[in-house]
Amino acid sequence: MSSHREAPEIAKDPVADNADVYAFVSPDAPDTVTIVSNFVPLQGPAGGPNFYEFGDDVLYSIYIDNDGDAQPEIEYQFQFSSSLRYDTTFLYNIGPIGSLTDPNWNARQTYSVTRIDAGLPHGGQPPSPPGPAGPPAQGGPAWPLGLNHARVLGTSLPCPPCNIGPRSTPNYEANLGSQAVQVLASGEKVFCGQRSDPFYVDLGSIFDLGDLRPLQPYHLIPSAASAGVDATKALNIHTIAIQVPITMLTRDGSKPTSISSPTAVLGIWSAASRRMVRVINAKNDTAESGPWVQVSRLGNPLFNEVIVPIAQKDEWNRGYPVGDSEYLPNVQHPELAGLLPVLYPGHSGVAPFPVFPNLTTLNASKAPRADLVAILLTGIPSGVITQAPTFQNFTGATYADMLRLNVAIPPSATPSPLGLLGLDISGYPNGRRLADDIVAIELQAIAGATYPYVDPNRGTPAAFHPDAAVPDVSQGIPTPPTGPGDRYMPAFPYVGSPYDGYDTPDV
Amino acid sequence: MTTINRLSFLKAAGVATGTAAIAASPAVAAAVEPGAVETVPGTPIPNEPIVAVIRDPARGQITVLSGTTEKTYTDRLLVNRLLKAAGRNHGQGRQGVA
Repeated sequence: MSSHREAPEIAKDPVADNADVYAFVSPDAPDTVTIVSNFVPLQGPAGGPNFYEFGDDVLYSIYIDNDGDAQPEIEYQFQFSSSLRYDTTFLYNIGPIGSLTDPNWNARQTYSVTRIDAGLPHGGQPPSPPGPAGPPAQGGPAWPLGLNHARVLGTSLPCPPCNIGPRSTPNYEANLGSQAVQVLASGEKVFCGQRSDPFYVDLGSIFDLGDLRPLQPYHLIPSAASAGVDATKALNIHTIAIQVPITMLTRDGSKPTSISSPTAVLGIWSAASRRMVRVINAKNDTAESGPWVQVSRLGNPLFNEVIVPIAQKDEWNRGYPVGDSEYLPNVQHPELAGLLPVLYPGHSGVAPFPVFPNLTTLNASKAPRADLVAILLTGIPSGVITQAPTFQNFTGATYADMLRLNVAIPPSATPSPLGLLGLDISGYPNGRRLADDIVAIELQAIAGATYPYVDPNRGTPAAFHPDAAVPDVSQGIPTPPTGPGDRYMPAFPYVGSPYDGYDTPDV
Repeated sequence: MTTINRLSFLKAAGVATGTAAIAASPAVAAAVEPGAVETVPGTPIPNEPIVAVIRDPARGQITVLSGTTEKTYTDRLLVNRLLKAAGRNHGQGRQGVA
């Protein structure tokens, strides 16, 4: 969760495992959008002596669709290169690492950033030579970035080291983390490196037959209610973060000010690709050949995790959003909506009983969940959210799993972790902020919280009403979540400093 | 210093066990293309190897991967020769040689 080890094959390939993607109008720079894509999930901070890094053999991509066709007009590619300063020691560092150029730091990683634009060159720049093709055409639809041009925006940009402990990486954020934020000449700001995982989830409970600790008295296998446990609160992850001026992302180069503007909504997702063939040499090296093949992707949180059947999860990772109509039935009739009344029948004498009678009726009606289709596959048209009728993040009729961010909506000064469910239109599913309570939002939506917005019987005696228990469907983790250190930061890259292995050795 | 890799190690070990059995197998011997010579590679695999994948044996389709390109050709003669060579490898594998 949200997409940590979510599919059988990618669970065995952590450096390519796209765990989460976030996209939001930057709270301290509202003329920009920040996109955060996380990989290498569930890192124990004490994971030495070979600490975590990105894959040198993985192509990391962030995609932006700015015209609603569910295909990218813009791709940012990140590629990494690892090196050793000393090859005669087993040590990651031979003394304290006081800066990004400290000679005590042995195992380093740098990266390049390339922007690929489909169609006309961006910003009036002269066309560059044709760049590398985007993800392969194999098995997928035509890829518009095949006719494109690429610009290398930065090379040999340093990742910070992993946070080892106070002896090896003293004053981590001041000396190393913050120093790794790069401002590119082209206008973007980038950061790539280890961070604390901003996502929070009660992993140990939720995959134990869908248990939510606060609702345990109502579970099929009941026990006393208890508070949720944040399983990722002391774990690290590897973050690719980029902050881009809005004018460099919209189709017409404008910064939309009207929520209803058709240019205001961006579709955003990220992915990881590997070369088609890897040859393992007898010596300690490998060789690769063939096109890049996408092995992981992420748009909406939890889509692959709880919507797509396990037998199709790796196939989904290979696919592109524009082909997601294949998964429409899974969204219209999600398995989890049927499971909730089964897993939480309630018990006679313990109110409420039954827990989900109205959801049971809705499920039995076989009515397609148009609310979930709007949230996950098309965006929400204007006029649907009755309390905020001008809100929209609709990208058109193409069913595609993307985050959809209306960039004309400014950041909220008082964000609700429930996002749109909390009537905060600057939060999920309008993009996704780091601290949005995704598990609660999506569970409540699936439980019926959002169905009244699309209910054809709205205003009639047959109208659907969410069950009284729906607002209580949560993990019981206090929001915003905490950790051994600051979980979030007020400035780019906004993701908190990674926890060090010395002080968090036992997770 | 003599370089020993897994392939040469296993081949050396197989001399006394499986090789004779292969040579005595009419089916495997018939698969060897006249003039084909089996050798132990003397150089490492290039950083960007050219890789051929027989995509559809019945149609003689072979896909060649080079750099980041992937092109599929129809060449029944080449596919047949590669299949024969592959059949010989399979035969060796069944004999436990390599």
